[in-house]
Amino acid sequence: MNLVVVLAIVVVVVALRVWFRRRGHSIRRPLRIPVVLEPLVGDIGLVATREVRERLRGKIFRVGTLLLLVAVAAAIVIPVLNRGHGHSQSVGVVGSLSAPLRTSVVATGKSIGSTVRLVDEANVVVADDDLRAGRVDLLIVDGRRLVVNQAIESTDTSKTAQLVRAVSDAVGVGQAFRAAGLSAAQAAQLVHAKPLPVTSLQPAPAEGAVRTTSVVGLILVFVMLTQYNAWILVGVMEEKSSRVVEVLLAAVRPVQLLAGKVLGIGLVAFAQAGLIVAFALVLAKAVGSDLLQGTAPLALASLLVWLVLGYAFYCWVYAAAGSMTERQEQVQGLAFPLSLPILLGYVMSLTVAGSGNPSTFFDVLAYLPPTAPFAMPVLVGLGRATWWEFAASAALSVVCTVAVAKLAAGIYRRSILRTGRRVRLREVVSRVAG
Amino acid sequence: MGGPLELDALTRRYGTVTALDDLSFSVRAGQVVGFLGPNGAGKTTAMRAIFGLTDLDAGTVRWNGAPVEQAERRRFGYMPEERGLYPSMLVGEQLQYLGRLHGMRAPDAAVAAKTWLERLGVADRSDSKVDSLSHGNQQRVQLAAALVHEPELLVLDEPLSGLDPVAIDDIGAVLVERAQAGCCVLFSSHQLDLVEHLCEAVTIIDHGRLVVAGTVDDLATSGPCRLVVRVEGDRDASWAHLLGGVSVSEIDRGAVRLVLDRSVDTKAVLQAAMGAGRVTEFTFERRRLSEVFREALG
Repeated sequence: MNLVVVLAIVVVVVALRVWFRRRGHSIRRPLRIPVVLEPLVGDIGLVATREVRERLRGKIFRVGTLLLLVAVAAAIVIPVLNRGHGHSQSVGVVGSLSAPLRTSVVATGKSIGSTVRLVDEANVVVADDDLRAGRVDLLIVDGRRLVVNQAIESTDTSKTAQLVRAVSDAVGVGQAFRAAGLSAAQAAQLVHAKPLPVTSLQPAPAEGAVRTTSVVGLILVFVMLTQYNAWILVGVMEEKSSRVVEVLLAAVRPVQLLAGKVLGIGLVAFAQAGLIVAFALVLAKAVGSDLLQGTAPLALASLLVWLVLGYAFYCWVYAAAGSMTERQEQVQGLAFPLSLPILLGYVMSLTVAGSGNPSTFFDVLAYLPPTAPFAMPVLVGLGRATWWEFAASAALSVVCTVAVAKLAAGIYRRSILRTGRRVRLREVVSRVAG
Repeated sequence: MGGPLELDALTRRYGTVTALDDLSFSVRAGQVVGFLGPNGAGKTTAMRAIFGLTDLDAGTVRWNGAPVEQAERRRFGYMPEERGLYPSMLVGEQLQYLGRLHGMRAPDAAVAAKTWLERLGVADRSDSKVDSLSHGNQQRVQLAAALVHEPELLVLDEPLSGLDPVAIDDIGAVLVERAQAGCCVLFSSHQLDLVEHLCEAVTIIDHGRLVVAGTVDDLATSGPCRLVVRVEGDRDASWAHLLGGVSVSEIDRGAVRLVLDRSVDTKAVLQAAMGAGRVTEFTFERRRLSEVFREALG
């Protein structure tokens, strides 16, 4: 099974690599999506088409997409492989161990999610060698004592530690039954006592799959938003520094150029996000991951919605910032302060996704457009946001995005043709407001 | 006002600096017009104003009598002083893209891009990135970018700077050809000899104001008479300094260039020269553009 999964990942990655290479060779072939776009939105479509074509050709995009796919594959497959790895543990048996106790040891392994294989050892010396070499995880010597390679701390929660504690209890109890004079059948009946069913008044809090989805999703949204924002910031700066913007603005209006850039990069972004999500879902289904269980799909959908809203909000901010710079060092000076709200939302959300315990401050962050793309999906994953809270936060984000877009378009128009030094925000904002 | 392009009372201030000061002039169809002035005179600001790339404090740019809007600008071609192309985009695709932004259909833009690259001698670089081209070839591609949509008005800011003589000839020939095809061509340059050679008319500005405008012929034949006189063995033209109403503007390897007041009789000049030695050259000359330029700027 593991081999099949690894092979499947390799095949997908190789296929994508080949596809990208073929795209590289057919570099002048027009792309279908943008061709459809052009008649719909005119000059904006033309600008967007160029953005899409140039981004898809870029090595950064191709390598970045591959790395993201590999990261997603690892996040999905490794937990499954680890789960599978726990299935098989070997227990060396030195001397005699009665059939009921053997059965009990195997059953004990099953109760902690392991498949226990009993290995009969010739003598203690051979058994110790096997234990040191890791061929067995645990020795049962004469049914009276257990030997492990390394002492187990009380805080150790590894599979081996769990097995050792469980087997220690089970064999001890079995020996006690025997000492009490119970027959083998009676002892077996006691060992296999059925636990009582447990019901609950409240559903379980976010389980592993949801938390994993939230954390992996948060990392993806962070990486992707950061990447797309950087494209916009540097793309606008390069158009200004190369002075091509003068040639472009001799033919189109600033707002058309800005909207085309934002739309084009957005299309590439969502195509990439769509590809990653589709890949994740197909892979999760194929390997039997928990990703599709419980509220995890809802958390995933929420992340996608907020990726769109987050991009829509930040793209204008970064475009306006890019129009105020024309050199790399000016961009670097702006990039850090601009990324602070993203970092705040991201770090806070990662913490809460791990602890499952949001504070009031975090609830507030889920309604602020700069941090909501990270905070709200976490609340959804934790089952702490109702649909109307989600909708209210989204609506607030849309309203703020429209306001930010208007302001950014004004700043862009004022700044993009001003060269020589970095444009100060106060200068352009006062003129836009005026 | 004369031509389809009219700049009417343009004023642009940057703080305390006045870049354009009530500047007005026009460009006729079918003319190559040289746009001259010292550094900082306001040439680039005026050219940018035609394309709406700078906000005006006052004045209007008109095309065929109507204020210029985006629809008109799409029929204009512009080559900025600081060249502007996407450095990592392929040359051919870049021209097609710019053609399409000026309203061309995709197949027409492809044909036009190919045609202009061939015409400007860079057809073999169609699939190269712009930043891999030499300075001269980038300049050719930049001109092709201004021409690809067959503009009715061509505005070029220093199109000939930094080019070798072959490239200057090629680009100059294209400008003249476009004008002959009915296009308005306005270009700025500090290479006055080239402007005199290429242009039918010139407009000279200084401190954002119009100083001189007219055809090269009119400007060359206006003003005082100019004579070039060469006297064998004479090096310092001392004979000329003795003549009233005559000033020596230049002495170049034995040839003295004289500027004569209208009242001066050229026979008297010839006699004075013959008195100094054997006269080997006595030529009436037109006023050079460089002289017009210097005189205009005082």
